[in-house]
Amino acid sequence: MFKLIVVANDGSVGGFKALALACDIAKRAGTALHMISVEVLPNMPASIDEVIEAKTDENHKFHDVLAKARDIAKKKGVKLDAEVVAGHAVSAIVAYVKAHKADLLVVGFMGHSALYERIIGGTADRLVRLAPCPVLVVK
Amino acid sequence: MMDNIWFTSALWIALALASALISIRIALSVALIEIMMGALGGNIIGMPLTPWINYLAGFGAILLTFLAGAEVDMAVVRRNLGASLGIGFVSFLLPYIGCMLAARYLLGWPWPQAQIAGISLSTTSVAVVYAVMVETGLNKTELGKIILAACFITDLGTVLALGIVFASFTIWLLAFAAATIVVVMMLPKVGPWFFALVGQRVSEPEIKFLLLILFALGGFATAVGSEAVLPAYLIGMALAPAFQHDPELPHRMRVIAFAVLTPFYFLKAGSLIEAKALIAGAGLIALFLGMKMATKFVGILPLTRYYRFDKREGMYTTLLMSTGLTFGSISALYGLTNHIIDQEQYTVLLTSVIASAVVPTVIAQTWFLPKIASAKQEV
Repeated sequence: MFKLIVVANDGSVGGFKALALACDIAKRAGTALHMISVEVLPNMPASIDEVIEAKTDENHKFHDVLAKARDIAKKKGVKLDAEVVAGHAVSAIVAYVKAHKADLLVVGFMGHSALYERIIGGTADRLVRLAPCPVLVVK
Repeated sequence: MMDNIWFTSALWIALALASALISIRIALSVALIEIMMGALGGNIIGMPLTPWINYLAGFGAILLTFLAGAEVDMAVVRRNLGASLGIGFVSFLLPYIGCMLAARYLLGWPWPQAQIAGISLSTTSVAVVYAVMVETGLNKTELGKIILAACFITDLGTVLALGIVFASFTIWLLAFAAATIVVVMMLPKVGPWFFALVGQRVSEPEIKFLLLILFALGGFATAVGSEAVLPAYLIGMALAPAFQHDPELPHRMRVIAFAVLTPFYFLKAGSLIEAKALIAGAGLIALFLGMKMATKFVGILPLTRYYRFDKREGMYTTLLMSTGLTFGSISALYGLTNHIIDQEQYTVLLTSVIASAVVPTVIAQTWFLPKIASAKQEV
């Protein structure tokens, strides 16, 4: 049914739940599995150092996320192609899904306050609206 | 209660802390949040400026400018001298002239006020450009390096204009220029020698040595009617190669600056925004933003064609170079502090500067991202 599943993992509990389920689906369906993680850099920074500092923090974080994700995939017997990009989470994930013509996007659910959801909307919510393929939100 | 300096300090630091937390939460520049917090605080609760707040804010502006100068990658500038000098100079000159003439002839502002408008809106935010280039991976390409070098040249133009336009042309100005040139020429050798001699110590003799030079030349600049940020940027540029070799010292200075000094500068900059002037001046803000972007386009876009950027990269470069924040705010605040512009004009100019940090970035990211967008990151 699927040729390529993309799982978005921000290193949160929800992100790893999404990865675990994506691994299970990929194994059963015999599908390729990609993982994308997005480093978020400060918007409109005042100094280059601010950017470098944020980038260094994100690199450390996602170095550990990649190692943990590869370990989970290995234990589940799935080959995982993982990639880290920098930018805005929603647009970067949607661009990745479009570029790789993925059939299914799996994302974790992260609860925000009612006010945040009303004003800004959750990442998963916006991915459901903007992704060009079916989206599975894992709780 | 605001006569009590500790309560006043607590209020300003509370706003700075709230700004830092919001900045971390929504990944937006702490400087931008501090300006907004300052604007809210200034208009809702009132944030009277005392001499010591003005001192800390001024100190913050000097350090901020010094650190911006220290970020200049001279090797990149030298390697791409023709393109970066051409794009950078035009990127400064056309908005400077365009916005100055718009203020003078469309709005009827007197020349000194029009000069402040031109200088404030001539800037390019190197940090905004750099952040976007890291995201796209452009910072590793030749195109990205040319853009970055051009941004440094634009900032240099802005700082030189701010330092020279309002200076009194006397023999003392020549003496100041000579002293600055001597220090700038000697520092690349004397600085690293002194840093190696004293080493890293808790008493921070390295930082005290740099502050001594910054304050002395800043004092000299102020005495001749120039601006302390001019020598600060040049000294930063002179030490940039040494700092790139050993980034620990500028990092410690940044920690000091961003922890206790720049919050006072950005909060003060925001607190002087007048809400009613903001509403009344919405049209002027749009005019200045439009003029800044239009003149950047007229100047930079043809040059990107000349230097054989493809169409999309040319548009992207032009939009990124239309951004501005730190030097724009420093220039506008300089105008207000020295009674060249009034608070309404300051509100219009600072808000136009803030808009120029946001609007061109959003347009560039949404419609003109080059094909190498969202480059794979090495972690």
